Amino acid sequence: MTNLTSLNYLQPELILTATILLMIVVDLFYSAKKSRRIGLWALAGLVLAFIYITVSGFNIPTALFLGSISSDPFGIFFKVLILLATIMTILVSFSERDLSNQRVGEYYILLVIVTLGLFFMVSATDLIMVYLSIEVVSIMSFVLAGYLRGNRRSSEASLKYVIYGAFSSGIMLFGLSILFGLTGSTNFFDIRTGLMELQNGADLALMLSTVLIFAGLGYKISAVPFHYWTPDVYEGAPTSITAFLSVAPKAAGMALIIRFFNSILGGEGVFTELEWGTFSAIPWTQLLAVLAAVTMTVGNLIALRQTSVKRMLAYSSIAHAGYMMMALPVLSQQGVYGIMIYAVFYLLMNLGAFYVVMIIANATGQEDYDQFRGLGHKAPLLAILMTLFMFSLTGIPPTAGFIGKFYLFAAVIKAGPSFYWLAIIGALNSVISLYYYMYVVKTMFFTQEKTSITQIEFKGISILVIVLAIPTLIFGIYWTPIADIVHKSLAIFIR
Amino acid sequence: MYLEFGTVLAFTILGIILLMVALWLQKLLAPSNPSKLKQSTYECGEEPEGSAWVQFNIRFYIIALVFLIFDVEVVFLFPWAVVFRELGWLAMVEMGIFLVILLVGLAYVWRKGDLDWVKLNMKNARGRYRRFAEDPNSNKNF
Repeated sequence: MTNLTSLNYLQPELILTATILLMIVVDLFYSAKKSRRIGLWALAGLVLAFIYITVSGFNIPTALFLGSISSDPFGIFFKVLILLATIMTILVSFSERDLSNQRVGEYYILLVIVTLGLFFMVSATDLIMVYLSIEVVSIMSFVLAGYLRGNRRSSEASLKYVIYGAFSSGIMLFGLSILFGLTGSTNFFDIRTGLMELQNGADLALMLSTVLIFAGLGYKISAVPFHYWTPDVYEGAPTSITAFLSVAPKAAGMALIIRFFNSILGGEGVFTELEWGTFSAIPWTQLLAVLAAVTMTVGNLIALRQTSVKRMLAYSSIAHAGYMMMALPVLSQQGVYGIMIYAVFYLLMNLGAFYVVMIIANATGQEDYDQFRGLGHKAPLLAILMTLFMFSLTGIPPTAGFIGKFYLFAAVIKAGPSFYWLAIIGALNSVISLYYYMYVVKTMFFTQEKTSITQIEFKGISILVIVLAIPTLIFGIYWTPIADIVHKSLAIFIR
Repeated sequence: MYLEFGTVLAFTILGIILLMVALWLQKLLAPSNPSKLKQSTYECGEEPEGSAWVQFNIRFYIIALVFLIFDVEVVFLFPWAVVFRELGWLAMVEMGIFLVILLVGLAYVWRKGDLDWVKLNMKNARGRYRRFAEDPNSNKNF
């Protein structure tokens, strides 16, 4: 489709762009104190884009801008997810204590720019677009992670994020250049045609390029050999940003990985039959399977020994990236289905858990396990909600996390005996994670009171936690609506 | 299948050997009597003074960034101007939108006071430097 007609499919992105420009201009006229109101402008733009997407619904998969991005139900599903995460983040930022003593106008502007970048990330079908969108997201995230001026941890987080980010995107760029050199095109589908014409004549180069590209993509979802930035960045960044980073870029990264491997290395007839098929002789599915297993194991094992709940959640988010990756190498529609359902439920429960930590941090200034001691007696409702999120993250019925994990494991087991080992490692990991999630619950209910919280004010962020907790519980019992939506959005653009 | 890479390997080994032979030959043949003057950084120019690792004003970076934005703008303007006649009003509108987006950036830099070079001790310092006029020790709202 040509450039001008493509704009018809790009309205949500255009709304976001207009919002960004408007926010920058309006913020220039606000004093440092009034600058907080920029958040309301951001909220208005995001809600407008959200309404637009939900009202216009799914469309037939189409290629836009001469094939550089695509518009399809698969992308729209992830866009809605990203918008929800950003709206939550902005709502919660209004009551973040760390942000209260500095100018916050740019904070909201950057957040909306990240959202725009993530939109392009989930719909990219061209190597250049892939790289550009990843860079937009990364650079804005670097600034956001270091937004707390004068806070050493925040600055450290930002610097580490920059160094790891620059390094891994450099490696990815190298991989992309090899792919371009092999096929002479940057378009996903032209690359696939080119690779088929090669007839396995360049397997070594293709394997090298796949590994290098996965370094960049794995960095975005914090898969294991590329995960070192995660705990430090998650600990130093403002908690609202940590929650955002653990959900939105991760979901977008998974979407990009699915689209990338599906379009380039997947066979014909993807998403229409049960099997993806793969024409290439390189063992990229085995590579992904091993990485998934290593990712969840390392994430869970290190999470066992953390003293800060925020760091524990950082490592647990690495483990969850592993669970999601587990359903990718089976190359079935069911696997993608499981990943998408899990992304929804993971958004609910992980944001919820982080926001409880944020309430504690706002009240006490720390996020250690010590601050959770005796919380069950002082603030029973908050402790019960946290318990619900911990149950859900472990995957215990009747919570949404159980349903998500059920779909993931079902997809892996259905793929046949060659993937049983992966399912077994996944199950063992769930058992390991039970220990540290339940340790939080034990600290809250069965230890002496130590928390300095006197009472939790029932406003703003607490309401948001309840809003997240209700679907976490309800979708654990009645998840048909989500399953229906995911089922409808299982259509990816393919040429 | 990977036999073509044999040529690459041969070239690599040959290159390394050639380089080593050249270095070894010049070490063998060339006379060597270094002096302090010969080994200085600028053999026939400025006296080197101090280390290159010095702090300098961060405003240079901001100016460089602003310059970069408008430099890139010109790069985009040239091809547009060449084909403008054929594209007509549509191209005009598109370039207008592009320039407005860049102007927002300029407005931002202006308002934040990054276009004034001398400002720190002035009463009418603007934007992020305003605090210096009010309270030189303040570190908030920067």
